[in-house]
Amino acid sequence: MLNLSAYHQPKSLPEALALLGSSGRALRPLAGGTDLVPALTKGETEPLGLVDLSRIPELRGISRVDNQIRIGSLSTFGEIENSPLLLAVPLLREAAAAVGSPQIRSQGTIGGNIANASPAADTVTALAALDAVARLESAAGSRSVQVSELLCGVGQTKLLPGEVIKEILFQVPPQGSRSGFVKLGRRKALAIARMNLALVITFEAGRISRARVALGAVGPNPSRRPALELVLLGQEPSRTLIDEFAMAASKEVGQMLGTRPSVSYKREAVKGIARDLLQRLFFGAGQVVG
Amino acid sequence: MEKFQLKMKVNGRTVTVAVEPGLRLLDVLRDVLHLTGTKEGCGEGECGACSVILDGELVDSCLVLAPQAHGKEVVTIEGISREGELDALQRAFLTAGAVQCGYCTPGMILAAKALLSRNPNPGRQEIARGISGNLCRCTGYAKIVKAVELAAAELQQKEGAAGV
Repeated sequence: MLNLSAYHQPKSLPEALALLGSSGRALRPLAGGTDLVPALTKGETEPLGLVDLSRIPELRGISRVDNQIRIGSLSTFGEIENSPLLLAVPLLREAAAAVGSPQIRSQGTIGGNIANASPAADTVTALAALDAVARLESAAGSRSVQVSELLCGVGQTKLLPGEVIKEILFQVPPQGSRSGFVKLGRRKALAIARMNLALVITFEAGRISRARVALGAVGPNPSRRPALELVLLGQEPSRTLIDEFAMAASKEVGQMLGTRPSVSYKREAVKGIARDLLQRLFFGAGQVVG
Repeated sequence: MEKFQLKMKVNGRTVTVAVEPGLRLLDVLRDVLHLTGTKEGCGEGECGACSVILDGELVDSCLVLAPQAHGKEVVTIEGISREGELDALQRAFLTAGAVQCGYCTPGMILAAKALLSRNPNPGRQEIARGISGNLCRCTGYAKIVKAVELAAAELQQKEGAAGV
């Protein structure tokens, strides 16, 4: 059993923020628990007190106002995967569907995926490609930070003590966009991503007028790769462009990983996932990994 | 520290117990309520042996702290038969020979139950995805998939008959 020093189950956000604000780092927010509970059970995390966020209505729900989508941080992967409001962002639905197993998807949350700062966090790669912003709340006030800037290393975030991720906000990609997410794991279910890739491509008069490319599990945190976006920008979709993009992705991964032992594998593997995903977005075909 | 007054509905019955908040839902089900049909396998959400249905959603009860289940409704393997009659899935597992050592079976059946409640007529791929969080080291899964197909067919037939 976990030896907890305290357990709180606040029913409103101000109540939770007051608890967290007065505790220093002695209290830790608990979202779905799929990462934190086993870590605590195995003693990987120092026993401490928990503030269970699951009863706070302000942290739930998915909504859309004009072109802006808001996802409450306690939304589960299952809710994201199945939300009709998110039909406009297939990359995020596909990323949520690629997480863990049905059990993990009904319990794990998008806010937890961010706060946990795993290099392989599937939804974070999609959020990076969407330029998503996280709204953070604390007893002292609120601030907004780009999700990709909130992360600063393996398991590290710039969240301050007492701060909670309230919601994630992003704009629906412009008219004429297609998007998708692809994951490479050791097997389909329950695999931590060896690598994942999210793309948003906007077509205008047959050419790519805007491109967003994000890679995950290559380096400490998922991030946008502007060099790869430039490869696509202004081009017409073609087999040649897919090949060029795959080669550029391989080079990018090589540069990002340097001399890490996984570099020779990932430099090759990224070509496969890049080809799969681009083919699907360009020509509506191709195998979807994961 | 202070105990948590946990009130939840388990298999249709309301239970109130004072528990250490560090207990997992799995521990409460097995050690406090003595519902030992729910098994512990890996204890970290990889194997699905401890799967239960929590407010209609399939979860690993080893990843849920007991207070997180407060006010919710839990269904375990003990709760799916009615008046002594086995659930269609339990019968189908017997018919198809989908049980060998049996350790994964309660979790597997609840995963299938959660799947069928959402998708009464799943294809093979959908069944495979529905049970992808549950490991079985004996059967090779073929007979489990068959059993889920059998149960789905039976439920469809019943529904068809009821509709006439």
